[in-house]
Amino acid sequence: MALSFKHIAPFLTTDQNRSSRWLSYIGLGIGVLLLLCSIQMYINIDALLKNKNAKKDGYDYISITKKVTNENMAEDHSFNEADMSELKNSTLIDDATGLVANKFLVKATGGGAVPFTADMFLEAIDENFIDTIPPAFNWKEGQTLVPVIISSDYLELYNTVFAPSRDLPQVSEKTLSTIIVQLEFIGNSGTQTFRGNIVAVSDRINSVLVPRNFLEWANQQFGNKEKSNPSRIFLKTKDANNPELLSFLQQKEYHINKDKTKFGRVKQVLQMIVTGLAGFGILVVLLAMVLFSFYLQLMIAKSKENLQLLLTIGYSPEWLSKTVAKKWVPVYIVVIIMAVVITVLLQWSFQHFVMKDRENLSPIVNWIVFATASLLLVLSVAINFRLVKKLLYKL
Amino acid sequence: MQISLQQVAPTFIEQEKIASSQVWNKSIVFHPAEKIQIIAPSGSGKTSLIHFLYGMRKDFSGEIVYDKKNIRSFDAEDFAAYRQKHVSIVFQDLRLFPEQTVLQNLEIKRQLNSFHPENKIAAMARRLGIESKLTKLCKTCSYGEQQRIAIIRSLLQPFDFLLLDEPFSHLDDNNRKTGLELIEEECSMRKAAIILADLRQTAHFKADRILDL
Repeated sequence: MALSFKHIAPFLTTDQNRSSRWLSYIGLGIGVLLLLCSIQMYINIDALLKNKNAKKDGYDYISITKKVTNENMAEDHSFNEADMSELKNSTLIDDATGLVANKFLVKATGGGAVPFTADMFLEAIDENFIDTIPPAFNWKEGQTLVPVIISSDYLELYNTVFAPSRDLPQVSEKTLSTIIVQLEFIGNSGTQTFRGNIVAVSDRINSVLVPRNFLEWANQQFGNKEKSNPSRIFLKTKDANNPELLSFLQQKEYHINKDKTKFGRVKQVLQMIVTGLAGFGILVVLLAMVLFSFYLQLMIAKSKENLQLLLTIGYSPEWLSKTVAKKWVPVYIVVIIMAVVITVLLQWSFQHFVMKDRENLSPIVNWIVFATASLLLVLSVAINFRLVKKLLYKL
Repeated sequence: MQISLQQVAPTFIEQEKIASSQVWNKSIVFHPAEKIQIIAPSGSGKTSLIHFLYGMRKDFSGEIVYDKKNIRSFDAEDFAAYRQKHVSIVFQDLRLFPEQTVLQNLEIKRQLNSFHPENKIAAMARRLGIESKLTKLCKTCSYGEQQRIAIIRSLLQPFDFLLLDEPFSHLDDNNRKTGLELIEEECSMRKAAIILADLRQTAHFKADRILDL
């Protein structure tokens, strides 16, 4: 018959201080639960405050400019090559590109359908930064018809503010493509008129976009020949709400399109609160462990004479410490499994009852929570083994 | 298997006592199946010698070698194995668990490394006249009864050497005789040596060698 704890149990004073033992079990359970729930909430916040913006291939696109203040109004606010390479080399940013702007005067007239004349601007950007690129969005030299992409905000403004105030017809996105706008370019080499055709609207880029090769050609033709740096940069990033990215840009004093990152601050604050809770959970776990270690020390101190005698009559200290420590392994397993089960139930209830089955929130607990629970189990068992061994070898 | 003492002397005993001893500071070998009587007046280090041999104290000069290994180099695990398989003991102060029953005191030793089946405990207890005490708490037994419990406990494991430190001090002649008979039977079964330390020559014990400490 193999020796086990039950053989030596009568020689140990295990029944004393039951209350501190149970308190430590409850403390461990509460601490682990608090920690696991905090981790899960952290992940939930991450999931819920993501995907708020139009994404292309899972990326967020935000535009940045250099802040203009009263103090620096006279300075150059464009991005030089060093700024660009710093942005491109940042691990937080996947790609960055400058917006090319017109360097000559542009006037737009609506023609017969929408009678208006206005000074306006044009910009161009790398095509892979644009969310909606129809096949017609290209230009060849000699072509007078220029495809244009405008921000969907402009269309909305036109339909809700401009058109009703002037008693003009409202236009749909589809009708928009049939409208031809006269674009008059006035520059060093004279004046030329192009026909602008709105081929798409963009949710992402707040501008009037034309093909890049067209604007570069036009700048050469009508603008000054000097090469200038872009004043507005578009960034491609995995998560525009990443607090690290936001603080990086803040530190560089770049102005960010607030609308796209407003969740960033909320997320930062919420995650800080949850991190605080997790810290508190760790503290409770530690206190529970300390309490349990007091119980173990007391038990070993009270059983000291018997344990010494067991060692004297030939019991191995290694076997004794393992056997005594092993006694509490099932308790740790039960306590931690209970905390995991409660976390699983809470997550499911949160997703189902509070978030009303929202799709971007999983009802299943994240694997990190399980990994943390396993790690805690291994840690608590290992600490327990070490402690018992240390106490026994001290006898 | 043999135990050899190479110039072993306690560090705390006067030089005169060491000089007159047949054990201290001498080279002595204890062989298997040998019966050795060590006669020692009080204060000559009798219990210390037994403790040195059992590996409980290290405050001696010289070396004790068991099976070509110096026991001074043993760690806690080595000593555990040494006490489980090779050396058994009856302490002068018995060292029983007072709050446990007699049976629990014996079983805890038997289970560690069984040499005998469970029913052998009752048979031995019957032979030494303490069978009725098996279910009683050890602390309720008289010193003489506790001595017999300690003797039985020492015989429940395998061993090559049995160390006895005044094992019969509280036993009458009859009990001493039956106790010694049981010990000799068990030792011959294991071809083990007996090292019996006492104040004077123990009655009924036919020693192969008598050493004055």
